[in-house]
Amino acid sequence: MTGAQSTATSAVPSGVEAVIPASVDELVEVLAEATAKRRRVAVWGGGTHRAMGHDFVPDLVVSTAGLSGVEVWEPDDLTVVVGAGTPVAQLESQLAGGGQSAVLPEVAGPATVGGAVATGTSGFRRLRYGPTRDRVLEVRAVTGDGRVIKGGGRVVKNVSGYDLPRLYTGSFGSLGVITSVCLKLWPLTESTATVRVSSPGAAESIHRPLAVLQTPGDVRVLVAGTGPEVDDQIRRLGGNASPGLDYPDPVEGTDVWSVRVPPSAAEDAVGRLPAGSDFVAQHGIGEVTFGVPSGYDVAELRRWAERRRGSVVRLRGAPNDDPWGAPPAGLELQRRVVAAFDPGRVLEPGRLPGGI
Amino acid sequence: MALKSDLVAVLDEERVTEDPFALRLYSTDAGQVSGAATIVVFPESTGEVVDVVGAAARNGVPIVARGAGTGLAAGAVPTQGGVVVSTTRMNRIEEVNPADRTAWVGPGVINLDLSAATSVHGLHFAPDPSSQSICTVGGNVANNSGGPHCLAEGSTVGHVLAVEVVLGDGEVLVLGGPAPDPIGLDLRGVMVGSEGTLGIVTRVLVRLLPDPPDVRTLLLAFDTVEDAATTVSGVIAAGVVPAALEMMDQRMATAVENWLHAGLPTDAAALLLAEVVGETAAVEAEAEVIRRVGNASGARSVTTAADEAERALLWKGRKSAFGAVAQTAPDYYLHDTVVPRTRLAETMTEVYEIADRYDLVMMNVFHAGDGNLHPLIAYDSADPEERVRVLAAAEEMVKVCVRNGGTLSGEHGIGLEKRDLMPMIFTREDLDSQARLKECFDPQDLFNPAKVLPQGSRCFDLGGGRPIPDGAWL
Repeated sequence: MTGAQSTATSAVPSGVEAVIPASVDELVEVLAEATAKRRRVAVWGGGTHRAMGHDFVPDLVVSTAGLSGVEVWEPDDLTVVVGAGTPVAQLESQLAGGGQSAVLPEVAGPATVGGAVATGTSGFRRLRYGPTRDRVLEVRAVTGDGRVIKGGGRVVKNVSGYDLPRLYTGSFGSLGVITSVCLKLWPLTESTATVRVSSPGAAESIHRPLAVLQTPGDVRVLVAGTGPEVDDQIRRLGGNASPGLDYPDPVEGTDVWSVRVPPSAAEDAVGRLPAGSDFVAQHGIGEVTFGVPSGYDVAELRRWAERRRGSVVRLRGAPNDDPWGAPPAGLELQRRVVAAFDPGRVLEPGRLPGGI
Repeated sequence: MALKSDLVAVLDEERVTEDPFALRLYSTDAGQVSGAATIVVFPESTGEVVDVVGAAARNGVPIVARGAGTGLAAGAVPTQGGVVVSTTRMNRIEEVNPADRTAWVGPGVINLDLSAATSVHGLHFAPDPSSQSICTVGGNVANNSGGPHCLAEGSTVGHVLAVEVVLGDGEVLVLGGPAPDPIGLDLRGVMVGSEGTLGIVTRVLVRLLPDPPDVRTLLLAFDTVEDAATTVSGVIAAGVVPAALEMMDQRMATAVENWLHAGLPTDAAALLLAEVVGETAAVEAEAEVIRRVGNASGARSVTTAADEAERALLWKGRKSAFGAVAQTAPDYYLHDTVVPRTRLAETMTEVYEIADRYDLVMMNVFHAGDGNLHPLIAYDSADPEERVRVLAAAEEMVKVCVRNGGTLSGEHGIGLEKRDLMPMIFTREDLDSQARLKECFDPQDLFNPAKVLPQGSRCFDLGGGRPIPDGAWL
């Protein structure tokens, strides 16, 4: 999923108690009590992805805003340890000051680092740098029943124990409230450019661009590297370039959905979108986000995507009975894993595929 | 016995063996520990693996999956006895999809064979452990293997989109898929690196990368290890993440040069092998940065491989270094730890000091860019006194790395070798959460029991969340 749609912010539901733990210890108390009293908890970062997954009415909103800030930044190690409640934009701005990036969503609005990890959200540059989940080196979290745990470590390469950082990435709060993460960073390149081309296929003339993005109005290739390298890529892409990385605007529409298919099917997916809808297609990745008026039925598109082992997932819009489509294989195993980390099933109950 | 007849009933007799030589062969890996396989089987399909798992479960014996047996941490060693399931006959590259840059392969496919088979499409499988000419993709998945070129591209987990796995109850699941961000929990990510403790992987959907259009390979020589380590940090700090950045110390360079004659300078204290890939303009600029940083850090020479033959020779020296050690001593103990790369220089100093103190011959060739150390101690296992010193020094080296902010293993795995060191980096709660995860996949503890997690990791009552008092389980 991209940053393209993440500027719509949900408000904390009125009449629901909200707490902002100022420390991990406070969070432990809050969650232990929630489990004891079986209260349904919504975990709140920037509120930009509340429309994802099954809807539920929380008894308690737990904000990560009190667990914010950069704890350790080791530029020469290309790692940063950051509190979950830190806004993505704030982290990236700080890192950019040192010539580095966590490659988190570029158009993040008020989204937080913890939220980006919990929802498994990646930025546009994933074609070059991989998805967010490949850069979460360590995760620290408090489980549903108030256990403080850590997985991974603060080094760029690690096979010590099961990969909890990847398990937490995209878990939508169901395994615990993430309190901090250690992220792998990349150096910002000397030069960048946005090159308009006639079709996504034009990007095949260059080696590993940052992104190949299609909107209703254009196709743009984002390139980065040393000055001469970028100049060379611009030339080979036809020369219609502007300096810097020009990311598409957030997709417009009351409801926004994400089609995820094998990369070669992205062009086909674009052709299947309802006429006139706004969209951003990430070629080479296989994700197309598109906006439609409320009430649009995704069933046919979803059948097509699921036949290709993909999915159509709701990103924004009014609650809907079927935000995920067909659940993944091994639903019982998924249910057991969630129960291992949240035995009282108080964190984001029912939100995951299959209503877990 | 029931186990053998049950297994023969699902596989033909030729693929079920209790031959003493085979049992011995399949009871060890490339490391220090051996176990005692009860029986070894060679399934050829997912269905056969399901039947083998069923037979083992009915007979209450453990299952240890095994690829080529090149592991060093005893991950594939049947320490509790049981059925060793060799995946080497599940070695079909089933389908290569150049448009999506993916391939479905059997777990027994050899790492290098995969890249060779996809090179016709201009694609390759990025993980490249030194054992890549014999190790299997299934073994790479089990260990989340790395290799020199994982500096820029990450370890195996970033190159596996889906796994088909057989669980203890015989259920076959495909976890992950060819589309981005599959919905639900990332159980694929948990399977990768789980060292055979959760189930048996029977098929793998790998992600392939386009071959780079150009490459530059540099060899830098230094008068001190510290200067080489400083260069490693300096290159990254200058904004260049090379495809590979490997260090070799003088002893190792001498051992390699003795048989390979690759022209490695044997009078330098340390060598760096750096490789940058990409567009020509990019590799030229990045090679220049490496040259500049190296010179500023005191490199006595910086040379660039003139052609593919020279480049191949340098890499042959790097990847066959461990074999070259045979000139020095009959055995070696190869370590695998990681420190933040800014702590590399001081860690190396401490590691050398430990080897000297224990009067051991240590050589180093390792993934310096990742901070992934591989101190190699050459010794004679027939000398029990020396063996004791080797193990004591090894543990001290791990402690130094952990104290310097590092971790136990970067790519070889925990297995049995480092299982009991896990509490050095994880709390009881951390280990308990991992033990719970294992239980979710493998409630009967059928798969590779007594590996990865130390005994007593599961230290809380199910569901209660109340910790047992300190020390109660020790």
